[in-house]
Amino acid sequence: MLKYTLQRVLYMIMVFFIITLMCFVLIRMLPQPILPPNDPHTEVLEMRREALGYNEPYLVQFARFLEGVFTKFDWGYSEKLYFGRGVWSVFLEKLPATIIVNLYSILWTIPVGIALGVLAALKKNTWVDYFISTITMVVISVPSFVYAFLIQYIFCFKLRWFPFLMKSGTDWFSWDMFVSMIPAVLSLSFGVIAGFTRTTRAELTEVLTSEFMLLARTKGLTKAQATVRHALRNCFVVVVPGIFGEFIGILGGSLIIEGIFAIPGVGGLTLNAINGLDYNIFMLSTVFYTAIGLAAGLVVDISYGFIDPRIRVGSKK
Amino acid sequence: MKKTFALLLAVVMVLSVLAGCGPQGNTETTSGTQGTQAPTPSGTEGTEGTTEPTLGTLTGEAGHYTYYDYTATLSASWNPHTYQTTDQAYPLDYTSSGLYSFIFNDANHPIEGKDPFTGYVIVPEMAAEMAVDVTEQVRAEHPEFGIPEGETEGYAYSVKLREDLTFDDGTPITAQTFVEGMKRLLDPRFQNYRAADVYDSSNTAPIVGSEDYFKQGHQYYEDNGSLKIPMDALAPGEDGQYVVTDAVTGANAMYQGCKVYIAVDVPITWTGGEDTLADYVEAYGDAYFGMDNWDTLLGLADEDGVVPCTEENLALLSSVTTTNPNWGETDADLFNYLLIDYTYPDGVDYDATVGYYAASDYELVSVFTKYVVGFDVYYGGLQDTLVLVDPAKYDACLVESTGADGNTIYSSTYNTNVDTAVSYGPYKVDGYQTDKSIHFTKNENWYGWKDGNHTYVDPEDGQTYDMYQTTDIDCQVVTEAATRLNMFLAGQLSAYGLTSDDFEQYRNSEYTYASPGSTIFFFILNGYLDTLQEREAAADFDQTTTDLETMTLKNFRKAFAVSFDKNLFIATTSPSYTPGFGILGDTYIYDPDTSAFYRDTDAAKQVLCDFYSVDPADYASLDEAVDSITGYDPVAAKELYAQAFQDALDAGYITDNDGDGVSDQTVTLTYSISTSTDIQTKRINYLNEKLKEITEGTPFDGKIVIVESAPCGDEWSNNIRNGVHDVVLGGWNGSLLNPFSLMTAYVNPDNAYDANWFKPDNYPVTINIDGEDVTMSLSKWVAAINGGVEDDNGVIRSYGNDDLDTRVYILAQIEGAILQTYDYIPMINDGSYAMLSQKHYYVTDEYNPVLARGGITYMKYNYDDAEWVDYIASQGGVLQY
Repeated sequence: MLKYTLQRVLYMIMVFFIITLMCFVLIRMLPQPILPPNDPHTEVLEMRREALGYNEPYLVQFARFLEGVFTKFDWGYSEKLYFGRGVWSVFLEKLPATIIVNLYSILWTIPVGIALGVLAALKKNTWVDYFISTITMVVISVPSFVYAFLIQYIFCFKLRWFPFLMKSGTDWFSWDMFVSMIPAVLSLSFGVIAGFTRTTRAELTEVLTSEFMLLARTKGLTKAQATVRHALRNCFVVVVPGIFGEFIGILGGSLIIEGIFAIPGVGGLTLNAINGLDYNIFMLSTVFYTAIGLAAGLVVDISYGFIDPRIRVGSKK
Repeated sequence: MKKTFALLLAVVMVLSVLAGCGPQGNTETTSGTQGTQAPTPSGTEGTEGTTEPTLGTLTGEAGHYTYYDYTATLSASWNPHTYQTTDQAYPLDYTSSGLYSFIFNDANHPIEGKDPFTGYVIVPEMAAEMAVDVTEQVRAEHPEFGIPEGETEGYAYSVKLREDLTFDDGTPITAQTFVEGMKRLLDPRFQNYRAADVYDSSNTAPIVGSEDYFKQGHQYYEDNGSLKIPMDALAPGEDGQYVVTDAVTGANAMYQGCKVYIAVDVPITWTGGEDTLADYVEAYGDAYFGMDNWDTLLGLADEDGVVPCTEENLALLSSVTTTNPNWGETDADLFNYLLIDYTYPDGVDYDATVGYYAASDYELVSVFTKYVVGFDVYYGGLQDTLVLVDPAKYDACLVESTGADGNTIYSSTYNTNVDTAVSYGPYKVDGYQTDKSIHFTKNENWYGWKDGNHTYVDPEDGQTYDMYQTTDIDCQVVTEAATRLNMFLAGQLSAYGLTSDDFEQYRNSEYTYASPGSTIFFFILNGYLDTLQEREAAADFDQTTTDLETMTLKNFRKAFAVSFDKNLFIATTSPSYTPGFGILGDTYIYDPDTSAFYRDTDAAKQVLCDFYSVDPADYASLDEAVDSITGYDPVAAKELYAQAFQDALDAGYITDNDGDGVSDQTVTLTYSISTSTDIQTKRINYLNEKLKEITEGTPFDGKIVIVESAPCGDEWSNNIRNGVHDVVLGGWNGSLLNPFSLMTAYVNPDNAYDANWFKPDNYPVTINIDGEDVTMSLSKWVAAINGGVEDDNGVIRSYGNDDLDTRVYILAQIEGAILQTYDYIPMINDGSYAMLSQKHYYVTDEYNPVLARGGITYMKYNYDDAEWVDYIASQGGVLQY
């Protein structure tokens, strides 16, 4: 297992480096916006580009980028979107809002989603199952921004239970902040609940009809005991990686939901950096999410072995 | 083991989350994020533990008047030296003042012949009094600033500053503070974007020496196509490379001794500004160029795309550009391909170079490179104070990093958060969260609160009121229009800009205000015959069924111009706009002193009548004649299409082999789109529908079609200029108070959309001036109206400072001449509609192009914040508009 883990880490570092290099080059290959040829502002911008070294060969620039990151943890300064500000500080400033909203969302969506899935599986082919499954399909089929507008219209505009936008400030754990986040949390939640419900129901339904479940019952276990001790555990082989994925997803914001509820998070950061050709912002967010994604993949793979002892790394013959 | 792992994993997850949400130690975060600022009076800036909500559950304090604004993009940096867009400059509107300002005319500031609040006056703001012309004195005392001999006015102005100016923290502002700001703006190390505003020679009032100071030590290739140094002023140097000789005098004398290069792969004016000679040669090859020596010349180009200009290399260039008659150039044109290698002298002393200095503690002197008088002194010359920064704070905000070749790059955190925000205007920033919100409150240290000058007499009740009734401005990022509308209806926004979806419901609301824009959008119609013929020659082009060349025929273009009812076009495709009939829109002011509109002049009206073939004699007045214009004349259009058919047959562009009197080919125009949108599709469908209607029964019956291009992003303008696409809705704006200068956009090849097929230098225009018919090229007329020019007979024609009646008359004739090219077919005058909340009202409903409806300066309130909350509650939480 240790050997496998180390091997995966090495591969991960290689992939990480390749992705970073590709992103570094690709963002610089995007065409610069056409500037008026005789506008003196164009001249100033070109002077600055030259001074920043953006006209040097890509590999020279990449070497300087790596040097800055590895020797000084210097990710550079924003040249477009947040002119003059260090991109690391911008990223750190925007991360908490995304994390908090996503955290509130998954804290209730995972238990609710699993519970509904279990309920639907246990009540398979009853009206309860039909109702849950139908609602699940509807919710999965509709994009989250549709809920967002509906929630905003009904709860914020018509009923006036919540503010339209997330509250300004950094008092993340205050009551007012929590209340102001509820519309966004709800908007993010429906799809996740539906996803877990569907997965759990499908897996549990299959497990409940397995022969070992019959054996467990014949051994004298009650239905509840057999379900909790054997069926749930088996269906979690599929569900748990999803939970890991959701936790990893905490760090990645939703462009649309954050826009609708004015959440000052990282949701639109990468896309805005590409549109604005803000190289340093783009590289930081890309590197960050690439690292998170690769690490998540590794953790999920390793976690299989802990959840289901039958899963082991295959050996080469 | 497994339990331990699960526990550890859970702990790591929770700790990660908490770590990410904790306070940050970085000094660049806003005070809001660090929770170090005291809560503001309105409680808008959320600090740790603050329980006062901002919007959503409106709370309001009696005596507070908050303006709730929104934006789609919140400025992350409003540094006055570096901002690039109006979004970025948004906070500066509230946190800065000008040396002089525009206010409405009222009982205290009357304008003869104008009702109150229908015009504007210029008054001292940070200045203590109006500027004084000190040209003679400066010329005598400071010869280093180079004021031309004999000039006695218009080059230097002294401004006496108020002595009570301070920044929001109480730091005094003196004339030297302005100078320190200018030094930093022009500091070559900082490469400030706004430095160009000060030295740009096309601006109204460039500051003497500012360009030399900013560019010191920098090497440039100056485009000789712009400098126009002739070949006989160039000669081979000792190494055989050409240099600029002493024969060059005047403004170009600075280039004496500079080396000359050939621009082989460098964009130059002569090749359109964006393309290079190499681009052209590679695109057209021996069809237009002599190719024998091209590879040799190209091979000599260095990494910058230039080749040293020697006798031999010049001969190579000549063989490329002059041997093929299709390119049509001679050796006399060669100078346009040259570049002058110029390096600005290093070690420039600010005091001895830049004409912006403090004559005393409270006296600031500006020296201009141009003659500037009258309104321009205050509008383009001295009004802008955005050079002003707090020097100590500015320096503290500088951030150094390493750039190419180990050089130091400077960035700045000045005006990026509450801690680094500086104000010298009526409001200051007291709350800011990146990409979220910004809050302004009154700057208690602003002189204007107590000087008694910032009042006005209300035109309705005759009472005197203080300006700036607004106490707080709260601006939130709201990206979705639906959210904005709901917030507005719930009383949480002060204004709402209508979208096309809202027009039906709210356009006629008593709270809706129309604001005309300055841009005229016209159809730019392809007239580039060469490219059209090349497109037709392509292998996949079927000339038996499709034609492109006909669109270049004058009669076809005339017919196209009167084929659409502009009112109907607007109503169908762009309901927030109004029809556009001329090149210049309704908001252009030709006399800034009296705020007189160009479109209201008889000359401008007559031009429209002439262009749309309306005879004023048929109407009771010229106004009625103009009002009758719709731009739509189906009878004339049909006749013109018939004539165009004959012209096209004669020219061999189309055929009528079956003799049915209808073109065998369909004239196909490609509509250039940057991105495919519903509105673009709707426009094209509308145009096709109307073309089908109007060509019915003509030789082009059903034979004119507009097709949508592939989305081409920003390239649409190049595609139009190069004749790759045939029609687009485009326009120019700017120069709202100087429509004369806007005309340069139509004759300057760098700007003009039709530069490839319309040569204004060779387009004669005759205008009767004081009984004399004067004929010059269109380019020369535009130059003459903006200053002076020598006509073809060697007579200096200078109308730049002539009486306004003459200038307006010439302007109208120029507009008429441009319209007659049928390269630009006016369609739309832009504009917008917005609702104003019931909390507020404007002091005047009339829209003024300079002051709009008074902005925050004159904003009036029906309710204070507390009353507003009660009012909303009394209305059931949703307001009716």
